[in-house]
Amino acid sequence: MANTPWAQILLFSIQTGSVYLLSAVALTLTYGLSKFPNFAHAEFMTLGAYTGFFIANLLHLPLPLTVLVCILCAFLVSGSLGLMSYKIIFGPLLRRGSSLIHLMIGSMALGFIIRYVIIEIWPGGTQSFTLPWPEASNIGPFRIYIPWILPIAAALVAGVSMQLLLTRTNIGRAIRATASNPQLAMASGINTGRVLLTTWFLSAGLAGMAGLFIGMKASFSPTMGWNILLSVFAVTVLGGIGSFYGAIAAAFIIGLAENVGVVILAQFGLASDYRTAISFVILIVVLLIKPEGLTRLFKGN
Amino acid sequence: MAPIFASVDVRAGYSDIVIVDGVSLEVEAGEIVAIVGPNGSGKSTLLKSFFGFAQFLSGKMFYKGEDITGRPADKMISSGIGYIPQTNNVFANLTITENLQMGAYTRSDRSQIATEIEGIFEIFHELKHRAKSFAGTLSGGERQMLAIARAMMGKPSVLMLDEPLASLSPKSVEGILDKLTLVRQSGTALVMIEQNVKRALSFANRAYILVEGKCIMQGPAGELLNDEQAKKRYLGLGT
Repeated sequence: MANTPWAQILLFSIQTGSVYLLSAVALTLTYGLSKFPNFAHAEFMTLGAYTGFFIANLLHLPLPLTVLVCILCAFLVSGSLGLMSYKIIFGPLLRRGSSLIHLMIGSMALGFIIRYVIIEIWPGGTQSFTLPWPEASNIGPFRIYIPWILPIAAALVAGVSMQLLLTRTNIGRAIRATASNPQLAMASGINTGRVLLTTWFLSAGLAGMAGLFIGMKASFSPTMGWNILLSVFAVTVLGGIGSFYGAIAAAFIIGLAENVGVVILAQFGLASDYRTAISFVILIVVLLIKPEGLTRLFKGN
Repeated sequence: MAPIFASVDVRAGYSDIVIVDGVSLEVEAGEIVAIVGPNGSGKSTLLKSFFGFAQFLSGKMFYKGEDITGRPADKMISSGIGYIPQTNNVFANLTITENLQMGAYTRSDRSQIATEIEGIFEIFHELKHRAKSFAGTLSGGERQMLAIARAMMGKPSVLMLDEPLASLSPKSVEGILDKLTLVRQSGTALVMIEQNVKRALSFANRAYILVEGKCIMQGPAGELLNDEQAKKRYLGLGT
C-alpha cells in the first residue's frame, strides 16, 4: 500500500466515500423521522452483502445481469427487514414514548440478533464473491477494476434518485414534511405511519446496497457492517445530521482521510486495521469543536 | 339539515386528566363560530382532541350527520375538516409552494393542483414572490397566512383554527381577518379560538364561552357581546 500512487489513493477515497455516503444518507433518513440513531443499520448493511452473495452463487446469468439482480435483492431483503423492524419494534416503542436510550439499545439488540442469525445461516467467518470480474486495467493514471467503480456509480445514481424523490414526488415531500413537523403532517392529511414505513424500507434498502458493494470489492464477514458503522456515524456528524450536501462533503473527507491515513500508517509500520481509528478521531474532534458539522457551510439546505 | 360539524358531550384531556368536560358544539355550513374563554378553559384541548392530538376520552363527533368519532387525523382532514395549530403551523424546511402542495396531499385530482396554487397566490398575493423560499424564513403574519393557504388547498368544508391571531402585530391581524373573510366567502365554515373576546365576537356569527372545561354560554355573537352577565363574569370586559 505504501507504494500506491496518489491518483489511485484518490480513486479509493472516492470509492470509500461513495459507500459511506450511501449508508449515511440512509441513516439520516430514519434519524430525521424517528429521531434516534439506529445501530441495527450496521446489520442491514451486512445482510445486503450476504443476500447478494447468496444470489450470486445461485444464479448463472451473464455478469451484468447477476450484479443487477444482486443489487435489487440486497435492496429488497434489507429494506423488508427494515420495514418489519419498524413495524414490530421501533414503531410500537415510539408510540409508547420510549426514550432515546431505549430506542438506541433496542436497535443494538436487534443488530446483534440479525448478526447471529447471519452467523447461523452462513457459518465459517469470512466469505468472498466469486464473480468473474474483468481483469483490472489501466486508464490514464488510474487502475480500474469494476468492483471499485461500481459503488461510485451506484452512489451517484442513488444520490440523484433520492434527491429527486425527496423534492419532486409527493411521497418524498411527505417524508420531508413529516421530518419537519409530524403533527402538522397529520393535520395535512398525511398518513405519517405509512411515511415512516416507507422511510425505513428505503433506508434499510440503501444500507443493504452499500453493504453489498463493500462485500463485492473484497472479502466480508458478519461484523462487516458493525466495523464501518463508526465511519458512517462520523460522516453524518461531520456532515451535520440531515444535510444532503453536508453529507456528500463529509463522506469524501472521511473517505480521503481514511485512505491517506492508511498510507501514513503503513509508513510508520502500523497495520491498516487502524483506519477506523482515523474516522473515530475525526468524529471526536468534530464533536468537540464543531458539533453542528458542516451544515453552516451549506445553509439553506 | 344536519350541521356540517357537531361534537356531543366531548370529554378530553391529557394522560387521563380531564380538561374538557362535556362540550357540545354545532357548526352550520358557511358560518363563523368563535370559541372564547379565559386561559386554561380547555379551548385548545377541545380542538386538538377532535384530531387525536389530545386525548379524546368520551363523547361523539359528527360530520354532515355521519358519526366520525375516533377517525384518525389524516382521515378527518381528507373528509374535509381542516385544522391549523396555534404554533408550528408551517413546514419550516419546505418551500412555500411545497407547503401548499402538502395541503393538497389527500386530493386525488392532482392535475388541478398547480392551477389552484396559482389561484391561492391570487388571494394570498403576499406569498407569491416568495414561492421558492423556505417557510422558516417567513415572518409571524406571513406564516399564519401560509398556514391558512395550506389548509385551503385541502378544500375543507369546515376549518378549525387555534388562535390564528395570537402574537401578531395589529396590521397582521387585519390582514389575517381579511383573508379569513375571503375563506368564508368561498363557502368554508370557520371554527376559531380567540383570546381577544371583543375581536372574536365582532367577527364571528356565533360563539361558545368555555370556562373550566365547560360550555357556560352560547349564542349569536352580537347578543353575547351585549350580554351584561357574560361580559362581567366570563369575558373580563367589564362595563
